[in-house]
Amino acid sequence: MIRVRSLTKRYGEHAALDGVDLTVAEGAVYGLVGPNGAGKTTLLSILAGLRRPTAGSVEIDAAVEERAVLPDAPRFDKWLTAREVVALAADLGDVTDETRIQTVLEDAGLAEAADRAVGGFSRGMLQRLGIAATLVTSPRLVMLDEPAAALDPAGRREVLDVVERMRSTSTVLFSSHILGDVQAVCDWVGILDRGKLLFEGPVAELLGNASSRVYLVRVRADVQTVADRLRSNEWVRSVETPAERLLRVDVTTLDAAEQHLVPALAEIGVPVVSVEPEQVSLEQVFLELTR
Amino acid sequence: MNLWRLEWVRLVRSKRLVALIGVYVFFGLLGPVTARYMGDILERFGGDVVVQFPDPVPADGIAQFTSNANQIGLLIAVVVAAGALVIDAIPEMSIFLRTRVDRIDRLLVPRLVVSFAAVAAAFIVGMLGAWYETVVLLGSLPVADLLLGTLLSLVYMAFVVALVAALGSRLASVLGTVATTVVVLLVLPIFGLVDVVGRWLPSHLLGALDGLLRGTKGVSEYVPATLVTLALTAALVWLATRWAAQREL
Repeated sequence: MIRVRSLTKRYGEHAALDGVDLTVAEGAVYGLVGPNGAGKTTLLSILAGLRRPTAGSVEIDAAVEERAVLPDAPRFDKWLTAREVVALAADLGDVTDETRIQTVLEDAGLAEAADRAVGGFSRGMLQRLGIAATLVTSPRLVMLDEPAAALDPAGRREVLDVVERMRSTSTVLFSSHILGDVQAVCDWVGILDRGKLLFEGPVAELLGNASSRVYLVRVRADVQTVADRLRSNEWVRSVETPAERLLRVDVTTLDAAEQHLVPALAEIGVPVVSVEPEQVSLEQVFLELTR
Repeated sequence: MNLWRLEWVRLVRSKRLVALIGVYVFFGLLGPVTARYMGDILERFGGDVVVQFPDPVPADGIAQFTSNANQIGLLIAVVVAAGALVIDAIPEMSIFLRTRVDRIDRLLVPRLVVSFAAVAAAFIVGMLGAWYETVVLLGSLPVADLLLGTLLSLVYMAFVVALVAALGSRLASVLGTVATTVVVLLVLPIFGLVDVVGRWLPSHLLGALDGLLRGTKGVSEYVPATLVTLALTAALVWLATRWAAQREL
């Protein structure tokens, strides 16, 4: 759906994007993550046609009327009603079905406020209105810039649910610095930092690659003794004791852990409650990559 | 809702149309009264100073109207036009529209046309008021000259709206656009003081109603300025489109 090659955007000496290669497959929910100033908005703006690249190429397999873009803080003329905003978006997308307007307003939770002027809307309501205006044309490609950044937890959950529902009908590219949101709904992720794409691939692959070396061991015994005994093994890099009955064992390889950890615990003779690989969050991987 | 109705709704709900028409109607009704009674007013409040006024003629009624309309009225018109034509004044609003059209002129044309129509309608309504009161208070006016002079004034207003559009696309700020437009409109007549140049400038059309109604100037006097103004208007609309298309958000 989107193919970006060697994309560069310079503002004087500063490179907001520096040779970015990015591919978004049709039907994907692609999360573009990065800290503030990483170049996420610049990249989305170029894809939306709002800025021109300094170098590189962008190919998008969707006509203008098949795309929809939602900025991070959508605003509309304050004297328009919510229904009129969505109707305008529908008209610009050549949607003539009036019931579609009502449907997306209801889906966005704005049915009761549909005929109120948007000048009195809260930030969350404006965000939901922006999503309604985005969805009314049933776009093939949806680009969302930090869609949940300024919302409360309930509002964020609603937005993520909407993104989840888009999965079956649209390709979604959304930027965020809230890694939990990306982990919750995206199947592909691109990590952008200081204008460079550090990683691109399935979320599961990113987390799988990073989740291998630390095991959490819960025991019903003195953890210090167990830790000392484990440290003497050459396949153990380090052992931490973050809690009274918990050991965090960093091993040299996944194979070594699978082969030696449980026998080693048996040899020590300690009562073991559980042994499991530590689940690495996207946040940890992100911090590792961008360090 | 479509882009044309959006502009109409903008004018009506933001009360800009009421303000625009109100100003022109006010000066339309006030102008002939001022022309008719200015001598009496000054005599009453002038104290010991004696001011001799020639008897007012019908052209004075329209002249009073155009003098105010071309200053305060035009300023209001510039503000109203800038409110619609500075598309990128609020980027988040602009993104909503820009990302939904394949060409920027789809956004600009309705704003240009509706803004000009509003300004033109306000001027015409004000002119009708001034005409009516002039006939009642000062006597009849030559209709053909009045219509022609009005038409030439509207050509000038089209130029002003196009100027606002071009500057708005370039500056992306309502305040900056209004201020720069006003400066340009003030500077143009200064160049017009050079007689040879003056006949070719858009600002020359501001005097068309007065010149035609008093019979001191013929139609041919305003042909060069009309042609230049129309050409400049077209060029400014082209520039507005080009600058808006080039702008990055």
